[in-house]
Amino acid sequence: MTPSVTEIMRGCAMALTQPPSPDAGPEFFASRVGMISMLANLAAQEAEHAASAAAAENTDMRALFAQAEAHDAALGGRLGTAARETDPDLSLTALDAANARLRRLLIELHERVEDAGDAGLDRAILALYVRMAEGRRLQLGG
Amino acid sequence: MTGSLAERLGVYLTRTWGEPVEVEKLARISGGASRETYRFDAKLASGRRPLILRRDPPGSLIETDRRSEFLALKSFHGRGVSAPEPLVLELEGAELERPFFIMARVDGGATGSPFQPDPYATHAAETLPIAEVCEAPALDACWRRELDYWSGVIEADELHPQPIVRAAIRRLYRNPPPPAHKLSVVHGDYRSGNFLHDGQGRVLAILDWEMAHLGDPLEDLGWAMDPLWRHNETDRVAGMLPRAEAIAIWEGASGLKVDPAAFAWWELFASVKGQAIWTSSAKEYRDGGYMEPILGFSGWLTARRHDEILAAKLAELAA
Repeated sequence: MTPSVTEIMRGCAMALTQPPSPDAGPEFFASRVGMISMLANLAAQEAEHAASAAAAENTDMRALFAQAEAHDAALGGRLGTAARETDPDLSLTALDAANARLRRLLIELHERVEDAGDAGLDRAILALYVRMAEGRRLQLGG
Repeated sequence: MTGSLAERLGVYLTRTWGEPVEVEKLARISGGASRETYRFDAKLASGRRPLILRRDPPGSLIETDRRSEFLALKSFHGRGVSAPEPLVLELEGAELERPFFIMARVDGGATGSPFQPDPYATHAAETLPIAEVCEAPALDACWRRELDYWSGVIEADELHPQPIVRAAIRRLYRNPPPPAHKLSVVHGDYRSGNFLHDGQGRVLAILDWEMAHLGDPLEDLGWAMDPLWRHNETDRVAGMLPRAEAIAIWEGASGLKVDPAAFAWWELFASVKGQAIWTSSAKEYRDGGYMEPILGFSGWLTARRHDEILAAKLAELAA
């Protein structure tokens, strides 16, 4: 995902090393530090859940591809291959890279499902989107 | 040119206004991630003027033309809308090195209340100064111009594939809205948080005109009613009032009727536009070396919230 929790944490650290601009004034500086603090808190939340959320989303997409394999002759081979893949490397970098590949295939599949007017599979994909978004939820103050 | 921002601004204003100007109490204001915004006082022989400087940042949340924003303010200031008075537009940057404009400052207000004022007094959109820089689309082309632009932003700036917003974009192209009822100046960021009010129900100033353009007036209503601006409220639009009441107030003020089919399109579009802005924000955050926390915040937390909103809307529309 972009930005990743790694990028956010790196960003917080780098932003804190930047000296306050004399042109900006103390009020702006305090607000900026407050924003960095909020990002760090969200990053703590994300660090706890990011890997499991990415793994769950990947599994969910693969399950849908297994369901869709028989519906789409043209994409079927790629859907089947993706459906049988697993995530042996549970680092966030590896999970996100697999997630990007799966999401690209999902976009392609959904477009074809819409073109074919397959209402059942369309609803299944839309329900998957709801789960994906909920699985990535961040809560201010959470 | 060397010197503090206040000194350089003083030199610029002295040269531009042809009289000695001292800049005092210059301080940056938080928010407004698309421009660096500063408040300051200009001290002249005739007295003190409270002003706002809006300067292009090195990296921005949205790519907007500061001339559009300046002319939008010029279009509405003194015409029955609480728009701050635009004073100076500098496209070359001069002493400040980056383009900027200066407007009058409105002190003493708080943000909020998009539905109480009469923001769009009677006007012919094509005759206002903003028409110098904004193309007037045909009534049946307003939707396409906006959707082409914002879907193009996602196409250009996306760093991680986004199936949810892409599904929404396809749905919008496949189910276009009816033509706009009339052509209006669309504020483009019309929502709670972009108004200053006096706490007594009076709007002192409508802010952040940088995305102003000519188009379908329903676009602003859809944006103002996006669930993102509800904060933690579930039932009240912008955290202020029930949806039906908000629409009724808008209809009464505008003299227009909200077509539910057209409005459903503009509501979904609002969330797509939001996601496009957050997508650009994430890209700017990375391109800028992660130094601007506000870009990380909107490119991350806000983007995820809009994914939730879009997924829920898509499921509801298909039900």
